[in-house]
Amino acid sequence: MADQTVVPEPPLIEGRGITRLYSMGDSQVAALRGVDFAIRMGENVAIIGPSGSGKSTLLHILGLLDRPTTGTYLFAGVDTDTLDDDRLALLRNRAIGFIFQSFNLVSGESALENVAAPLVYAGVKRKERLERAEESLARVGLSDRAHHDPSQLSGGQRQRVAIARALVTRPAVILADEPTGNLDSRSSADVFSLLQELQAEGLTLVTITHDQRIADRAVRVLRVEDGILVEHGAPAPTYLDGAELQGPTTAPGTPPTGVVVPAQSGLASLGLTREDEQ
Amino acid sequence: MSFVEALRLALRRLGTNPLRTALTTLGVVIGVASLVALIGVGEGTQTAITNQIAGLGTNLLSVNAGSSVVGGVRGAAGSASTLTTADAAAIATLPGVAAVAPEMAVSNVVVVNGRTNSTTSLTGTTPSEASVRNYQIQTGTYLTDLSVTKGLRVAVLGPTTVTDLNATPTSIIGQTITVNGIPFSVIGVTQPKGGSGFTNPDDVVFAPISAVQSRLTGASTLRTIGVSLQDPSQLAYVESEITSLLRYRHNLASSASDDFTMVSQDQLLSVASTTTATIRNFLIGIAAIALVVGGIGIANTMLVSVRERVREIGTRKAIGARRRDITRQFLVEAVIVTLGGAVVGVLLGIAVTGLVGSAVNVPASPTLSGIALAFVSALLVGVVAGYWPARQASRLDPVEALRYE
Repeated sequence: MADQTVVPEPPLIEGRGITRLYSMGDSQVAALRGVDFAIRMGENVAIIGPSGSGKSTLLHILGLLDRPTTGTYLFAGVDTDTLDDDRLALLRNRAIGFIFQSFNLVSGESALENVAAPLVYAGVKRKERLERAEESLARVGLSDRAHHDPSQLSGGQRQRVAIARALVTRPAVILADEPTGNLDSRSSADVFSLLQELQAEGLTLVTITHDQRIADRAVRVLRVEDGILVEHGAPAPTYLDGAELQGPTTAPGTPPTGVVVPAQSGLASLGLTREDEQ
Repeated sequence: MSFVEALRLALRRLGTNPLRTALTTLGVVIGVASLVALIGVGEGTQTAITNQIAGLGTNLLSVNAGSSVVGGVRGAAGSASTLTTADAAAIATLPGVAAVAPEMAVSNVVVVNGRTNSTTSLTGTTPSEASVRNYQIQTGTYLTDLSVTKGLRVAVLGPTTVTDLNATPTSIIGQTITVNGIPFSVIGVTQPKGGSGFTNPDDVVFAPISAVQSRLTGASTLRTIGVSLQDPSQLAYVESEITSLLRYRHNLASSASDDFTMVSQDQLLSVASTTTATIRNFLIGIAAIALVVGGIGIANTMLVSVRERVREIGTRKAIGARRRDITRQFLVEAVIVTLGGAVVGVLLGIAVTGLVGSAVNVPASPTLSGIALAFVSALLVGVVAGYWPARQASRLDPVEALRYE
């Protein structure tokens, strides 16, 4: 980090002209129609937009679960188009933590096993795995629920287990898809403040949300409408609903300013090796 | 994901739904148990039949009368009566021949003892029958040379015949029975040889050939001549000697076919074991089908399981599982179910082998090769049955999988 002043840090995530088309019978539907964005390490970004606008598709592409139809997606400076499925899985395992609206914990497995699951795919030995999972659970304040089945936990607790799972590999970025969407207001507040704390500690946080507080707290709001990014500036403090929004602060298709892409960058900088790789 | 992790995961998963796991396993249990039991019983039956045939006499060669080829159809052995006691006497002089027993057979004779009667078969023969056909005496004596030369009306009974006549081996000695109305006095009872069916060697009456000829048949032709060899390795030699001798004695032209046939005990044994092997293989085939059906059950359950766990698969992919990790997880699950079934099946099969063996009175015991075969087949079935669902799971698109309700 000492050379940060000399060499500009590349954006962690960068998209250029990303489109995503789906075939629906004979016709094609464009979920994303040319999107450019850049997210730096440590940023707190909210993706908002009406349903069907393409924000989930965008998050799936950010999370390397899906590939753009056209356009370039760079993760840590690496063109993800050049990576095979196993490499993408490795990146998801090491560099990305997912949080889902419906938690997606595996029932029949204890909270601790759920949290430790990503480390299984990272090839971490069981003892270390459980230690790290315990640490992670402690971080979200659920040490006392380690051996509970997800079905024995409240919604808020489940989401905190999911957050612990996302944190356990110490990823570069957390991608959260409506993390408070299935929670009551109290649990919502818990999860919300936990995410904000983590972000404040240096984690990159990208959240799809309808939650006004998350949008308000985000350093930057990416607003998606009809497959196009119509805004990537700071959130409007009075933002309430899509209809009341002002026009885009940046013209669609224009690359975000201040982005410097170094010629040389690599996954090695993230320490991406799988321990069980031959 | 390492194999150990896949194993741990699979065991936890299978433990969450024990009833389903048990039911899925049942198909394999039944398949493996049938394989083990049928192979065990099959081997036991084969051993029993082999022993039984060996018990009929060792180094034995049977010369049967007849077997003329008429219009391309070979008549049943013994259907034409060409053998005589003189033939038997001539064979006895051949080198390599230990003993010769002429056999004049009368089937379906009615034997009456007091108010009890029984239908059996009678063999008119000589004392050498006992050594040729390997009969031991239980009570009394066997036929003597004297009884043959004098044509005495004496009889030696098989133990089954004695029982059928409502008597015991000791009580029947000295009794007079009638055979097709002709009185014979019982002088001995043979040792049981074990056996059943219409060729039961224990359901028989022996009488001096001279008495049978004069009192019962009136004919001088034999059905069979039993020949025992000094040395089994001389079988082919003795066979060709007997053939030349009989062809000469029967004045057969060189173009004529033999008017007798010869069957050695070895040939009988091989025919019997071929037959039992065929039956055994047929049964094993049925058991294998049961195992395959068990495999289909596993494949089905695994497909259902994949369908139920689409979101879990999506989640696992999101947190870093590669295709091969997912494949391994489901494949290991299928193989564990199969192996569990195989272990239970082997134990059940061993128990069933014992039960069936004692029920049908066959010395059945589970064989190591049978168990190994069943186990390996089950493993193969598990891998094949698990592979397709596992592949389905690994190929799910993570975005679709995460959206799946």
